[in-house]
Amino acid sequence: MSTQAIIDVSKLPHHEFDTYDPVWWGNNLLLAIETSMFGILIATYFYLRQNFPEWPPPVAQLTATLKPLPQLGYGTANTILLLVSCIPMVLTDISARRGNRGVSQIGLVIGVLCGVGACVLRGFEFSAMYFRWDSNAYGSVVWFMLGMHMMHLCILTTEAVLLAVWIFTREYDMKHRVDIVTVAIYWYWVTAIWLLLYAIIYFTPRLG
Amino acid sequence: MSQKEAQNEEPRNEGRPRAPLVERIDVDREELADVMKREKEELERTWARPTGIIGWFIDTDHKAIAKRYIITAFIFFVFGGIEAALMRIQLMRPDNHFLTPDQYNQIFTVHGTTMMFLFAVPIMTAMGIYLVPLMIGARDVAFPRLNLYGYFVYLIGGILLYTGFVLNTGPDAGWFAYVPLSGPGFSPGKRVDIWAQMITFTELSGLAGAVVVIGTAFKMRAPGMSLNRLPLFVWAQVVTSFMIIFAMPSVMLASGFLASDRLIDTHFFNPAEGGDAILYQHLFWFFGHPEVYIIFIPALGFISPIIVTFARRKIFGYVPLVLSLISTAFIGFGLWVHHMFATPIPQMGQSLFTAASMMIAIPSGVQIFCWIATLWGSKLNIKTPLLFVLGFFAIFIIGGLTGVMLASVPLDLQIHDTFFVVAHLHYVLIGGSVFPLFGAFYYWFPKWTGRMLSESAGRLNFWLMFIGFNLVFFPMHQLGLNGMPRRVYTYLPETGWGTLNLVASIGAFILASGVLVFIINVFWARAAGAVAGDNPWAADSLEWATTSPPPNYNFHNLPVVQGRYPIWQATADAPVVRGLSTTSRETLVTSVLDAQPELCFDIPGPSIWPFLLSLATAVMFVAGIFTPWAILTGAILGGIVLTCWFFGDPNYKNKTARETGKRSQPVRPAPELRPKEV
Amino acid sequence: MIDMRNTTLKMCTLAFVLCCSSCGGIHNALNPSGPQAHNLSRLWWLMFIVCSAVFVIVMIAVFLSLRNRTGDSQATPQIEPPREQERKRSNVVVTAVTITVVILFVFLIASFSAGRSMTAGLEHKNGLTVEITGHQWWWEVRYPDASANNIFTTANEIHIPIGVPVTFSLKGGDVIHSFWVPNLAGKKDLIPGKINTMWLQADKPGVYRGQCAEYCGLQHARMALWIVAEPQEQFNAWRQSQTGTSIPPSSDSQKRGQQVFLTSTCVMCHAINGTPAGSNIGPNLTHVASRNMIAAATLVNTREHLAQWIRDSQTFKPGNKMPQNNLSDADLNSLVDYLQSLK
Repeated sequence: MSTQAIIDVSKLPHHEFDTYDPVWWGNNLLLAIETSMFGILIATYFYLRQNFPEWPPPVAQLTATLKPLPQLGYGTANTILLLVSCIPMVLTDISARRGNRGVSQIGLVIGVLCGVGACVLRGFEFSAMYFRWDSNAYGSVVWFMLGMHMMHLCILTTEAVLLAVWIFTREYDMKHRVDIVTVAIYWYWVTAIWLLLYAIIYFTPRLG
Repeated sequence: MSQKEAQNEEPRNEGRPRAPLVERIDVDREELADVMKREKEELERTWARPTGIIGWFIDTDHKAIAKRYIITAFIFFVFGGIEAALMRIQLMRPDNHFLTPDQYNQIFTVHGTTMMFLFAVPIMTAMGIYLVPLMIGARDVAFPRLNLYGYFVYLIGGILLYTGFVLNTGPDAGWFAYVPLSGPGFSPGKRVDIWAQMITFTELSGLAGAVVVIGTAFKMRAPGMSLNRLPLFVWAQVVTSFMIIFAMPSVMLASGFLASDRLIDTHFFNPAEGGDAILYQHLFWFFGHPEVYIIFIPALGFISPIIVTFARRKIFGYVPLVLSLISTAFIGFGLWVHHMFATPIPQMGQSLFTAASMMIAIPSGVQIFCWIATLWGSKLNIKTPLLFVLGFFAIFIIGGLTGVMLASVPLDLQIHDTFFVVAHLHYVLIGGSVFPLFGAFYYWFPKWTGRMLSESAGRLNFWLMFIGFNLVFFPMHQLGLNGMPRRVYTYLPETGWGTLNLVASIGAFILASGVLVFIINVFWARAAGAVAGDNPWAADSLEWATTSPPPNYNFHNLPVVQGRYPIWQATADAPVVRGLSTTSRETLVTSVLDAQPELCFDIPGPSIWPFLLSLATAVMFVAGIFTPWAILTGAILGGIVLTCWFFGDPNYKNKTARETGKRSQPVRPAPELRPKEV
Repeated sequence: MIDMRNTTLKMCTLAFVLCCSSCGGIHNALNPSGPQAHNLSRLWWLMFIVCSAVFVIVMIAVFLSLRNRTGDSQATPQIEPPREQERKRSNVVVTAVTITVVILFVFLIASFSAGRSMTAGLEHKNGLTVEITGHQWWWEVRYPDASANNIFTTANEIHIPIGVPVTFSLKGGDVIHSFWVPNLAGKKDLIPGKINTMWLQADKPGVYRGQCAEYCGLQHARMALWIVAEPQEQFNAWRQSQTGTSIPPSSDSQKRGQQVFLTSTCVMCHAINGTPAGSNIGPNLTHVASRNMIAAATLVNTREHLAQWIRDSQTFKPGNKMPQNNLSDADLNSLVDYLQSLK
């Protein structure tokens, strides 16, 4: 007989929340990539602003207003919706950590409804813009910002749908509870980016 | 599984057991041998790679993917070299008619694009994908299917570019495609659209690779490999991956804006509607400068292990070397305007970039001095890998010094956009990346294939490349000072540029013959090279602690690391990791800082979804050249694939699971190998 | 006869001045002929000498470190080298890094001061101003003036007086080009939507060749320019001759040539002051015979070259915007006669 030094890892779990799980890292790295992208997009917005004596540029036929500031209605509604939707998301997040299947299910369904609502409102936001993407550089960059964020809204909503289907029809296992928390983080991120974009698109032109 | 079972199955945050400690157990050597033999068979079965044609599309083994990347990238390297040879033939004489202006312009564009996007970044990523899991003692990468997806989109991007090129619709606006030349007004047709969309593919691939490398290097290290014991190779790969994450979005936007200006009439770069041509340059070079460090820093990671092995001593200055890598990456993000000194940007602002561009020479200098300090006085064993590293010193230092010259705004205004810059960039890229890469090939080829490359052919390879390279590019410094601008398909005889161009062209063929010797060496060695064994170089890092080539599962028992030089510092009773399943694909996940064991992580097996997703991506961005609706169609197809991916069984082809009809449970170690109850 | 002499004279001049390009020459950053280029040349030599010294020293260090070559790949590795040895090496490395920082700092200062002298007082230079607009693939040159009569436009050949700072206002016309005359100064880009400014000065009379230095499409390689620096009186005379309308045709052939010009597609792109032709899509031809070169300073301005260029410019410069012109020999002859009379 002889001895062997070992580390016995057989009792370790397969999944865990937050930084323990590689999925957390993968997700957050993807979010870092997208944050970079939005950061550069925002820099582009301010860079192009230098080329315009008035921002937004004046519209040719509009007699009522000199400066076609983006209308606040739909954008603000969307902001409120996204902020409010974070509440069920937080509850879903906590429920996934605690293993409370029922709350997770309800929370995800509400989340999906909010996501769909946000996409619909985004469509109205586009139509309320005075400029199209091909009108001028202002239109191009604003449509791009709204469009990229909408892409994320769509992906986010789809992910929530898929997860909701899973936890309704299949196991509520640890792997998918970690996935729920991942979606929640993505949700907070989409909301945070939107707050930034909302402030920039709707308010910085009003600051003069 | 019911909620109750779920609650009981896995421990929660608060009640998590502490990381297991090292323990000593009694073993009977004979029984141990039997157990190991049985486990080995099970591991072989669990980790068996799919075969046949379908197997090629679904194999997620990181070594297989990396080998594919390396071979594909090398083929593109050869294509790029052929393009360069054609250019050199055209420029051999003034007023030459070997190529038409349009052919020449396509060729120089595709040469640059191929080398930068289809060769340099992918091959560096590939080296990381192969070696990082082995060096850190893991069974696979963290996200194997994302890894496979990255390869397929890269391949599709390369095919897209070359299809266009072969059909005479290759891009012809230069590898950085400045607007307005590349815009809708001055580049009609699909040439530049092909370029812009190819960027999308290669950037997706690079980003996928970066996420995989960071996830693996941070979370899958063997116990005991705390961050301060991380091999310098892995540090370089991690730093590079972070650079990719922050730099590549910029070029995605640059090429995205360019594509949308061309295809759907946006005005990002149209001065008539408030757009800005310089905006493109900012967006491109904010990526473009870090890009060259993305290509260069992995090569620095090759040099350190090679020097350590052949100098037979520990590296001098581990901490300064790590800090140099990190500071090079940081400073590298603050240099981009040095590509734009001739634009109307105010000079005071430009001067800041001069300071930063000079400052970045400091960490490079630190590294070079540390390496020389490692080599100094050591009982050196000069084999081909080290020869290439010495070549790196000679060539890269020249490149770095000319870089400092180019950093100066006023001097740059003379030599910017001339052959001086062509000389500089080739000195730093070939000297700084390709030479270490070839050294790395000679060094790790035995590990990948089990055979040694021929040493004498290696020396011939090196000298042909070294002499050829200097003959091609050194005269270009003079040509630039003598007034020869870049990207000219010909020049007048009266300019007097003919002689030096002829010398350069002759050198090109010598350089090419060096590469040819390498290719022959590889084919020869695969058939008849000396058998390598596990550790032919008597090196220190973990990839040499397993067979050559490694088994699919990399290590039978994951090692426990006891120092920065695991093999050299391993004690006789070094611990091993036990308890990972042999009937399902599992590897160990550890903490980021100290590599304490945390999870037994399930690694997905072979899967068709990455390939199908790459096809959906192809629909989006290839068909997207012709109609914007393809973007939507591709996105929907991608959504369908991702749904199937999500709902699919990660143990797709796990034979054990199919045989037993359910997901296998992790096998606990045999009773004899469990610690005794006290 | 006069044409032949003129031609030969031009060709000899060109050959002479260009053939010593590698050891000097008129298109060479290391043969400075003005204060800007002198500045840059000094900076170049400073950096070149210091960098060469650095390279040599570091390579010596690399070679010296190869002294102990045993060839034993299995030698026991040294994981803990002697502390004293490591400390000494630390000192050397720190010294080397410090020297590196000092050298870089010296370069930084040298670079700043060279840069400042390049732009210093740009607004106060009240010498000559010349406006350049870049086109695919030629240079539009305009001399503005306070009095409208003295404004004129020419192409590809710029005259400046020696010893006088000349401000160049650079505008992008279509794509990005770059204006570069290495003997006199560094380059600046011409970017559509922006105006870039630089100044340069020639101290010695002579011809200085430049070439577009930003890839601008198919014929980027054949987009050159000349700066002719001459004493003030000669410059004034040249300037005077460039203002005003074109010289009316005198001989029959020239008159016929003018008719050919006005009735062919030439007028769609080219202007000749004093005739109905006023398009500024292509180079202004009012004083085309006074230029040394044609085709953006890539062909000597001789009779044969002019005729070949008109008939079939695509062979020499494929893809350039001027179409082929299938004129009869007689027509072509007269046209060339006329153009060669436009001094």
